Amino acid sequence: MDFLVAGFIKAVELLINFDQGTWSAICATLRVSTCSMLLSLGAGLPAGFLLGYFDFKGKRALRTVLDTLLSLPTVSVGLLVYAFIASRGPLGQFELLFTLTGIAIGQTILAFPIVTAITASVVEGIDPELKLTLLSLGAGKKNIITTCLWEVRYGLLAAAVTAYGRVLTEVGISMMVGGNIKYHTRTITTAIALETNKGLFADGIALGIVLISIAFAVNISLSFLRKK
Amino acid sequence: MSEISYKLNHIQHYYGDKKVLDIDGLQICRGSITGLTGPNGSGKSTLLKIMAFALKPTHGQVWLNGRKEFVLSPRVRSKVTLLTQKPYLLKRSVFDNIAYGLKIRKDMGDIENRVKDALKSVGLAHGDFARRQWHELSGGEAQRVAMAARLVLQPEVLLLDEPVASVDTKSAEQIRKASLAARKNWGCTLIIASHDLPWLYECSDTRISIFQGQIFSTGTENIIPPPYDLSQKNHPVKWLGQNEKSEHIHLAPGKKNNKFAIIQKEKIHIRLEKEKANGWENQITGQITSMVMEKNAELIMTTIQAKDFFIDISLSPDQAENLKLLPGKKIILMFSSRDIEWR
Repeated sequence: MDFLVAGFIKAVELLINFDQGTWSAICATLRVSTCSMLLSLGAGLPAGFLLGYFDFKGKRALRTVLDTLLSLPTVSVGLLVYAFIASRGPLGQFELLFTLTGIAIGQTILAFPIVTAITASVVEGIDPELKLTLLSLGAGKKNIITTCLWEVRYGLLAAAVTAYGRVLTEVGISMMVGGNIKYHTRTITTAIALETNKGLFADGIALGIVLISIAFAVNISLSFLRKK
Repeated sequence: MSEISYKLNHIQHYYGDKKVLDIDGLQICRGSITGLTGPNGSGKSTLLKIMAFALKPTHGQVWLNGRKEFVLSPRVRSKVTLLTQKPYLLKRSVFDNIAYGLKIRKDMGDIENRVKDALKSVGLAHGDFARRQWHELSGGEAQRVAMAARLVLQPEVLLLDEPVASVDTKSAEQIRKASLAARKNWGCTLIIASHDLPWLYECSDTRISIFQGQIFSTGTENIIPPPYDLSQKNHPVKWLGQNEKSEHIHLAPGKKNNKFAIIQKEKIHIRLEKEKANGWENQITGQITSMVMEKNAELIMTTIQAKDFFIDISLSPDQAENLKLLPGKKIILMFSSRDIEWR
């Protein structure tokens, strides 16, 4: 147990002393996760709304595919993105391998089905009376979409939180696409994996505390928004 | 002649394979109050949704003010509004719920006072209610807020679908008052679907009955609803009551598919005792359930129940007085099967 206690103490020291390696991993994590969340929300919310709101041929099959993608293994996404952005891949010319942009692309692919599927479920659960009410109050198409999304805002927040949790904690994509390069593409999760393998529990625990704190802060903020 | 507000042409609507509405033609005059009656599932709500341009009919056209209109047409969005039995309140404050329609029209002038007036018209005090959240209202208050959200728009047409069916007496009274004030204040055309027959008889200029998706009358006819016993080809009958096969109505021969038995109100007579050899095959025992003065007609709309069958007839005050008719009194309904038509 001593090494755990020592780990906690070391963790506090690393954070207070602004250890460069630790803070670099924290910043990289925040940058890629924020970027991938913005992209997946930007694409996933409208896609989920369309999928949940409208009936069309093949909707059921699409939902099944999307639900399957909810449990997409991160290493599979990493492999797929790696194949596409490696120098021999179709997007090799953009030189995205071992960059934070490459990780963000992979994490967007990971988060998109989560945001879309949960948004679709939330929108499908909208009271049919809402549309009737909006139409009878003179709402146009744009008003109907925005008001419906606003009415289910707490459900959409849940979608965002779930996706963020998955993006923040994944290792596979960051490791395969980012390469775990110190001060460059090393994220909190890849750093924890590396430090633990090296037997440096304190560093691992420090980063673990940061990861949990970020998740906690995100949930506290959303809880505050819900109250408002 | 009054200007026509609505014109419905050959409206048919299906839910899946089931035809729920089949209306050849219907016209509503501007500024009038139309009462829509009919049992649950008869097509009232579907008709009102189509008239509110919230539902596209499977076939047929709806004309408003002489123009063929459709769902989401910008011309109707500011003119027609519908209040349902259980309206949805947006997850925001009472003020924001009422102001929503004005905000999406970008009609924000003097919004505070307009919302205040709308709340007042349904008997809710602005100070007490404007800042309340949607979940802090009782069922009756929520219905009144929903009504205020429609009234603040000063619509040209207000469609009310069972607006007082699930609210307390006070809220029901406020909603009734507010709807009539809308007609008085800005000439709003009202179309009201309700089981509250006394209210409809009292306030409506025209009454329409709807049964199994078809419009049958403008308040002058009674439908004798199916099922009909056609086992004796030339002597179809309608049994009254659920199980016992005792009292029945002799119907006219000539029943065809999908036709209903109809009798004009004026062909039905009331007596206090059965009579022999008077030429009326049908002498049905019934009980008066309600008597309401009809608007502008000086007649008393009398509803009589004979087992599970309800029938309306119009009586003059003299007739009612001579027979000493009162709600609860048992009477005999008399009519001839020859006066029943299949339509």
